[in-house]
Amino acid sequence: MKFTQQFSFFWRSFFLQTGWNYLRYQSLGLLFVMWPFLKKLYSQDKDAIPSVVSRYLAVFNTQPVMASFCFGALAKQEEYIVNAPNLNETNEEILEWNAIKRGLSITTASIGDRLFWGTLKPLTLLLALFVWLVLGVHVFELQPENSLPLLYIAAGSIAAFLSFNTIALFVKWEGIKISYTAPVNGCFGLTSFDWNRTIYNAKKIGLVLTVGLILMGIYYYLRDFQRSIDVQFVTRAVIIVFFVCISFITRRLRIPNMYLYLSAAAVFNLVCYL
Amino acid sequence: MSVTILAVCLLAALLELDTTYAFQLTLSRGIIAGPLFALITGNYEAGIQAGIFTELLFADVSPLGAILPPSATICCAITVALSSMGIEMCYAFLVAVFGSLLFIRTERHVRKQRVQLLPGWEERLLQQPGKINRIIFFELGACFLINFVLISLFIGASGAFMRWLQPHIPLRAFFACQFAFMAVPWIGLASLVPEFRLKMR
Repeated sequence: MKFTQQFSFFWRSFFLQTGWNYLRYQSLGLLFVMWPFLKKLYSQDKDAIPSVVSRYLAVFNTQPVMASFCFGALAKQEEYIVNAPNLNETNEEILEWNAIKRGLSITTASIGDRLFWGTLKPLTLLLALFVWLVLGVHVFELQPENSLPLLYIAAGSIAAFLSFNTIALFVKWEGIKISYTAPVNGCFGLTSFDWNRTIYNAKKIGLVLTVGLILMGIYYYLRDFQRSIDVQFVTRAVIIVFFVCISFITRRLRIPNMYLYLSAAAVFNLVCYL
Repeated sequence: MSVTILAVCLLAALLELDTTYAFQLTLSRGIIAGPLFALITGNYEAGIQAGIFTELLFADVSPLGAILPPSATICCAITVALSSMGIEMCYAFLVAVFGSLLFIRTERHVRKQRVQLLPGWEERLLQQPGKINRIIFFELGACFLINFVLISLFIGASGAFMRWLQPHIPLRAFFACQFAFMAVPWIGLASLVPEFRLKMR
């Protein structure tokens, strides 16, 4: 694949989800990503374009970063369709194209959701919190009247932004090339990474960091109250322990955190008036 | 509405596009959007606190499949904007959580409405596929405008309401909201443990 073609897929893939809708999900975005390639490929056979476009406008939904694997694989298959020697072969290649589109979008969505949304996003959040804590920004109880240097404020955000995007953009860029060049029996390049091991290791790191952060939070909390252990200290400690315990329960019951927070605000107001 | 608040609304509308419609470079995350809003208002601590608390509170909801998580950008924008209007952080954050929940409902409605436009677009694209660029950038522009109008309206209305209400809120209610606000990072962190543990192989 030429660099310009790869760059075109890469740049346009940032708009894959524009026009997202409940009927065909990312279909408009997929056509937007593939259109320059299709225009060039079918420059000699303009009559075929409406039927080609209608294929791309069918249902398509996957994880936006991992979608790059679909672009490369679909582009390769589209070339097989164009170069098919007769009508029967063309129809077979089109059937194959549909199967690739469906199968690969489901597989990449599954990997991408687990890797990027389920693991990397919370992991980079923890990284940012650690950076802030190391710089002395007390992330658990900030006092708005305190002034922090701008560099300290930016450090955590930049750490999270760079760590997430370095991996995401690398996978996005490489995914296009790998899926285009990989043999069909090589799962369109998906097997060139050990996704399960990567996710497993990242989750292990995440677990250690989370427990570490909770312990650091407790340390900061105790350090602030070293001088006087009074009613306020005990009340706050009880509230923290209560919420840590109850959020484990609500997570198991699949109740979102925000409802726990809203309920807490309502219950505390009731208690204050009793 | 002051120029600062208007600038926060503009940036929020722009960053909200990053959530779904364009780029997905995670600029719309709480920990990134919060400090960015703070650059406009000048209250860095409020921005960073809004960002961290929002991100931790919404950490348990991911945009898997067609799931629409509450918008961290909207939550941060409302918190920072209300805080710069003189509203206490604990109240500002409570209003912002309601605001982001309301925004999900509107966003869902917009996506349903887009389905109505889809047949017309598809018909045009079958005849002139080159129009896809125009449709995509029209959609981006429309989303930006809708976001901007919704955010401005909500911040304007809730800001005026909270400024009127705040002096009348009793001290007990203030402490109640403060305690609930204080619990947010702990709720978030505790929910991250099963997030990492449950999905292990």
